[in-house]
Amino acid sequence: MYSMRTILVIYAAVAIASAQAPVPSARLLNAAKEPHNWLTYSGDYSGRRHSSLRQVHAANVSQLSLQWVFQTGSSIRLQVTPLVVDGIMYITAADNKAYALDARTGRTIWRYTRALPQKISALCCGRVNRGFGILGDKLFMATIDAHVVALDAKTGNVIWETKAEDYKKGFSFTVAPLVVKDKVIVGVAGGEYGVRGFIDAYDAETGKRAWRFYTIPGAGEPGNETWAGDSWKSGGASAWLTGTYDPDLNLVYWGIGNPGPDLWGGNRKGDNLYTDSVVALDADTGKLKWYFQFTPHDVHDWDTVQIPVLADLDYEGRTRKLLLLANRNGFYYALDRTNGKFLRAKPFVRVTWAKGIRADGRPDVIPGTDPSPEGNYACPGLGGGTNWMSPSLNPQTGLMYVPFREQCDIFYSAESKYREGQLFFGGTYEDKRTERDWGGIKAIQPQTGDVKWEFKFDKPTVGGTLSTAGGLVFTGDDDGYVVALDAETGKDLWHVGLGSPITAAPMTFALDGKQYVAIAAGAGLFTFALPER
Amino acid sequence: MRFLCIILAIPLALSAQEKEKTNPLAGKPEAVAEGRELFRQSCAFCHGMDARGGARGPDLVTGRRTHGETDAQLFEVISRGVPGTEMPANEMPEEEVWAIVSWLRSVRAPSPPAAIGDRANGEKLFFGPAACAQCHMVNGRGGRLGPDLSRAGAARAPNYLAQSIRKAGADITWGFHTVTVVMPDGKRITGVRRNEDTFSIQLMDASERIHSYLKRNLKEVVQEERSLMPDYNERALSERDLQDLVAYLESLRGR
Repeated sequence: MYSMRTILVIYAAVAIASAQAPVPSARLLNAAKEPHNWLTYSGDYSGRRHSSLRQVHAANVSQLSLQWVFQTGSSIRLQVTPLVVDGIMYITAADNKAYALDARTGRTIWRYTRALPQKISALCCGRVNRGFGILGDKLFMATIDAHVVALDAKTGNVIWETKAEDYKKGFSFTVAPLVVKDKVIVGVAGGEYGVRGFIDAYDAETGKRAWRFYTIPGAGEPGNETWAGDSWKSGGASAWLTGTYDPDLNLVYWGIGNPGPDLWGGNRKGDNLYTDSVVALDADTGKLKWYFQFTPHDVHDWDTVQIPVLADLDYEGRTRKLLLLANRNGFYYALDRTNGKFLRAKPFVRVTWAKGIRADGRPDVIPGTDPSPEGNYACPGLGGGTNWMSPSLNPQTGLMYVPFREQCDIFYSAESKYREGQLFFGGTYEDKRTERDWGGIKAIQPQTGDVKWEFKFDKPTVGGTLSTAGGLVFTGDDDGYVVALDAETGKDLWHVGLGSPITAAPMTFALDGKQYVAIAAGAGLFTFALPER
Repeated sequence: MRFLCIILAIPLALSAQEKEKTNPLAGKPEAVAEGRELFRQSCAFCHGMDARGGARGPDLVTGRRTHGETDAQLFEVISRGVPGTEMPANEMPEEEVWAIVSWLRSVRAPSPPAAIGDRANGEKLFFGPAACAQCHMVNGRGGRLGPDLSRAGAARAPNYLAQSIRKAGADITWGFHTVTVVMPDGKRITGVRRNEDTFSIQLMDASERIHSYLKRNLKEVVQEERSLMPDYNERALSERDLQDLVAYLESLRGR
């Protein structure tokens, strides 16, 4: 039986929810024009993760104070970026759970749980989820058991659910869907289990699959020859982070994961397309427009799922449509996003596996850095120079803010045979314990790859960033600090310990004329704002 | 993939009612070779290429197998996994599991030779002239600057213990690194780094006092490449006393 108080809370929440307008695709296209909301995983289609909100700025950020905390009660850390639509916050959490919260108080409006299958062991990295996509009055979630579900944003009720693949074969989803026009786009996880990766688009209204792009070309298709024998059938190439979208070119950009088995390439001689690449897909058909491969025939598990940041910048005297990506392999890249042409690359962390990137965009590999049965040392380590943590780009400073990791490993290879649904890793790795690992945030000049400033964390970071027009970069570190840095100088302007490693990116929204900054730490979501006067 | 953090213990519970299985491949050299390959494919990720353990899984060669020692127990652990841990079940054909068991059996280190020293004298040295107890605790007695040694014999081999006494800095246990903080006025405090994060540091000095600093109030933090423990060379500790001390430590298996 509900107490009177519970009933009142639910009633109040419903009143807020019903005041919400639906989110048609025009609102997603113009997300930057409603900075009080946060409508996609990266804030808008460009992946810049920059908000024009400026109530919190360099001079007052030190006064930020806690507003509310939402605790999921799980033992699994959140990796979610919340969506906020007109006062309601939507988050997903571990174990196929999701919540709608009153963004003013953090009180729960509804909750959703999708039953976990009895046996779901084919997961490399936890039963996590990074967030919702939204269109109209529907929210879209890609589940750990490889389904895509549409929920009624007002109630959390299931509107449709579609099985993408069989989770028993190692397929899973952790990605926040990208909604483009009338389609819900998701990329699969499972690169350590010998899946053949794909990016799917589903009709938002019906849940029917509209297209599928296999991230490994099939027999007879161009690129299939970059895989020896049948290795393409179990070659990985997952796509587990959210891509970006250029409406003018109608192209979706998506980063592709490592080839499998991860650390042994003996069965898959060749470049292994489209692993460790960015692909540009026609948003309506899923047809490949171009690709660029960063790490051909990768044997270090250096997925290129990093978010491709889209910006139109002055480049060598003219404005160019750029795609900017700091890669797990330790190099920062700038590409022309109309055609995938390689423009520039520069290391942003210690790199020992390649002398540099050649004019054609291929790495100049240093022998003796690939995994071997006896072990070979390479930097960056398996976790990469960066990883799934979101970068951001501030149009005012012109700087890109990249979370980085200074950490190296010894990589061991082992001949491996594919077995359906089983780990297909091809070796192991270990941290050289005599070295001290660290990380931080670098401000990178996007056109050159030069580092303007860096802020050091005591440990390699796995938290993402948020840039704001208040001249701030928000982020979090592995010790659980949420930090605000000066966007121009990298100076620490505010920090507070939240007591658990931060494995998610911050976001910002506004309500009642008040700017909030929200970030997940551990299994809780924390919000901050300036004190009321 | 992101980071693989599959932490494996090899815990295991074999139901007592079950009839002990025997390894049909026992004694076959080709099974040992096959098992090594299979282990490298499926198990090395956590347990290391040569089953010597790593950050994610225990050493299966010299370590204590808390959850299984017999062939039948190992078979169960591998095929069924260990509930409540990150050791997963492995759906592989029985003969492949047996091959892995055969290989593990072949690399299993014989029990290290029992330490030859005089345990009682070792204990006297520990709490007396060698002054180990000034910094190390055994079953609640002793200092807390260095690692607690109540389980030293269960956790480390005798030759490792001997080496650590002769040359303390050879392998510093995580959490016991030496650090020096420098105050704005140049004053230095050296101790064991108990915790450090981006903005703060805590250390314990030789008198077991805990110091806590915000880094912004310090001039410098120096990470030292040495142990605070002195090297006990042969002048400080004779070979015979070393044997006695190791014999004592080797007998410590916790309570």
